[in-house]
Amino acid sequence: MTRWKNFKAHLALFAMVVGPGIITANVDNDAGGIATYSVAGATFGYSLLWVLAPTCFLLVLVQEMCSRMGVVTGKGLSALIRERFGLGVSFYLMIALFFTNLGNVIADFAGLAASAEIFGLHRMWAVPIGSFLLWHMVIKGSYRTIERVFFVACVFYVAYLISGFLAHPDWKTAAYQSVVPTNPWTGASFYMIVGIVGTTIAPWMQFYQQASVVEKGIPLKHYRYSKWDTIAGAIVVTIVCYFIVLACAATLHKEGIMIETAGDAAKALKPAAGNYCAGLFAFGLMSASLFGAAILPISTATSICEAMGWERGVNRKFTEAPQYYSLYTVVLFAGAVVALVTSNKMLVPIMLFSQVVNGVLLPVIIFFMLRITSDKSIMGEYANSRLFNIVAWSGAFITAAISIIMVVMTLLQ
Amino acid sequence: MNQLGNTFQNGKKLAASPAPDDMPVVVFHNFSTLLGRPVRYENESRPFATLYDVGGSTATAYPLSVSLEIAPRRGRQHLILPWSAVQSLTDREIVVRNNAEEAPAPDFWARRDVLDDQVVDVSGAQVLRVNDIHLLYSENKLIFGHVEVGLRGILRRLRFERLFAFLAQWLFDYTLKDTFVTWRHIQVLSPGGIPGGVRVSKISQEQLADIHPAELADILEELGVKDRQVLFNSLSVETAADTLEEINPEFQRTLVSQGEPGRVADILEEMPPDEAADVLRDLGPDAQGLINQMDHESAAEVQTLLAHKEESAGGVLDTNCIEALTTETAASIIDRLRTLPDDVKVYNLVYVVNEKRELKGVISLRGLFRAAPEATLGTIMDEVLVHVSPQTRLKEVARELAKFGFQAIPVVDDNGVFMGIVRYDSALSQLADFLKD
Repeated sequence: MTRWKNFKAHLALFAMVVGPGIITANVDNDAGGIATYSVAGATFGYSLLWVLAPTCFLLVLVQEMCSRMGVVTGKGLSALIRERFGLGVSFYLMIALFFTNLGNVIADFAGLAASAEIFGLHRMWAVPIGSFLLWHMVIKGSYRTIERVFFVACVFYVAYLISGFLAHPDWKTAAYQSVVPTNPWTGASFYMIVGIVGTTIAPWMQFYQQASVVEKGIPLKHYRYSKWDTIAGAIVVTIVCYFIVLACAATLHKEGIMIETAGDAAKALKPAAGNYCAGLFAFGLMSASLFGAAILPISTATSICEAMGWERGVNRKFTEAPQYYSLYTVVLFAGAVVALVTSNKMLVPIMLFSQVVNGVLLPVIIFFMLRITSDKSIMGEYANSRLFNIVAWSGAFITAAISIIMVVMTLLQ
Repeated sequence: MNQLGNTFQNGKKLAASPAPDDMPVVVFHNFSTLLGRPVRYENESRPFATLYDVGGSTATAYPLSVSLEIAPRRGRQHLILPWSAVQSLTDREIVVRNNAEEAPAPDFWARRDVLDDQVVDVSGAQVLRVNDIHLLYSENKLIFGHVEVGLRGILRRLRFERLFAFLAQWLFDYTLKDTFVTWRHIQVLSPGGIPGGVRVSKISQEQLADIHPAELADILEELGVKDRQVLFNSLSVETAADTLEEINPEFQRTLVSQGEPGRVADILEEMPPDEAADVLRDLGPDAQGLINQMDHESAAEVQTLLAHKEESAGGVLDTNCIEALTTETAASIIDRLRTLPDDVKVYNLVYVVNEKRELKGVISLRGLFRAAPEATLGTIMDEVLVHVSPQTRLKEVARELAKFGFQAIPVVDDNGVFMGIVRYDSALSQLADFLKD
């Protein structure tokens, strides 16, 4: 009886702090992410499934530090970087963050356009309507309602699970190859692995998760629930991308169909796996794109304003926080316009550029994060332990190495 | 924000004409350009270190620097020197002499605790991030004058100031202005490595008390966890109580649970009991400890409120109202109103009870003044028709308040005994639904 009561008390506290981790992780599966996982499944079948578990671990490692910093200091990541490393470093970091986030927003609007066209809605309607709705929601709504909308949006990812089942994958092979690497060790497969890790752990996520932890005002003694939130988010995101890979591996890979974008995947799934599967896939892509396009501009504006010391927050009026709203509006509409006017061919160099900036930025941010979380004068008793530091530095080293390899390979291509 | 008209350049003397011998020369320095400046001994020609940080003392409204942190050219260990070792400070270098004196512990370090950190502007009631610091050097004293919070400070640190100033002037005929706040109005918060945290000076304490509690709450919400606690602890108990009411519930919980219990109990006593009960309700198991430290009267009131559900009339009961016997006269009540304490929020209604404390009626201030002074309340009161029980749901209470347009509604227990009132503002969240129609 008391056990049950205890459990209920824990659950109630968890419900109070849950959100930032799960929401961040789910936005992580935005249009760019879905494209990468689909291509991985279509090109390499089940053979890259083993990559997902270690990636999930790295994701938890990085995101846990963010939510810990948020709870302990009550400050955002960009504020901490500014206070610890000065204005110069923060300024250039923010410029890089601006461009890589803008690239992600463009990818999201391109995803929205592609998925809308599968449902027969022309992109000239879908993108302007979508961007205006998002803009209106943030300018006129409050953070709480937005958070609730996002939380509900997470449920739409179930669409991928169902489409994964509908594709009738070969469960035995999938289970075996989830643990044992059987992929050919060619340049192409290595590039794919790097791509999976790169899209799953993106720089904006650290800023966004820490900011939402701060916004929630989670007290220090409830920190462990916040940790569960991070872990739960990482597991959910891994399951979703597992099923995306499954769906594409079971159908497209079997038939030998090559794809380049998430929109291609949804279209190609139609003859191979049936209308329902393709429809659900496209629906998932649409909600993911909207989700990403909603959060990324907010996150960009918040991070930059925090670093530069400008007023911020969706709860303020335009005149109180002009820089915040200008940044938000510019990122949102620039993303929409670029996605509208450029063809798929022209999008490729833009995406490549964004990936390169992503790859350069991530190791730098992780380095700063490790320095801050090891600093006792900032983190007090919540500073990294020696053991954690060994694991984290090696994890960070792997992530950094992967990012840099990605940059080099992208530039060489 | 104080916009002083004069813009000054780094290292330039303030006086335009050569200063007479008996007038001290004042030189302005930007802290960001002082950093990294070479430091040498008076008897050596080559610098042995660079300036890393300056420590100030908040004993005066404009802090004086009391110590220096320098980074030696060789070796990694930074040195701390007392300000008394400084012989001169110029555009090019800082000259020090060998000095056996112990460096005093400063109240803040400019680089670690102020530059790039958040400070509170107590006159403008806002939180600002410091881009640069203006220092005045005069008679071998270094004084903290302003903090720079505008674009110009950012540009100077990024070394774009000249380019930007030139372009702005050339393209738009716009002169870059300094945006700064005088140090008198600045409260430094980040305690950094200083044990016990930064002392909040007396001036800023007075100024903080002048800020509207709702604005103070905004300031607190904008700060980091530690800074928020430092500022909250520095507020007087009365100001802290008013501010705590306004702050968002999540931050309320952290402030109360991490504050010193004795002080928190004092703050809770100062708050209206229903607000205090709201705070304690969110706190869970820690609440009882705080209630035990409150004085008897407040603790009892809060306990009664906590015994009821938050969403019921009993949970938001206000017992601070004017209660009188049917046998008292109008004149005696008017007399009593003269010494009414501040925390009685509903002061224009007198609740009339019999000797068993059963609610009999109510009379307004206007009714009291119109009546003959010797008339007893029993004869002039309006009989109470509308009242609620402590179990009544808040929604129902709100409906009654909206229907009759009352400022407050009396609460009566099962035996008809008067318990207190529910003010309309306690039911406000529920009331909104009924006001739309």
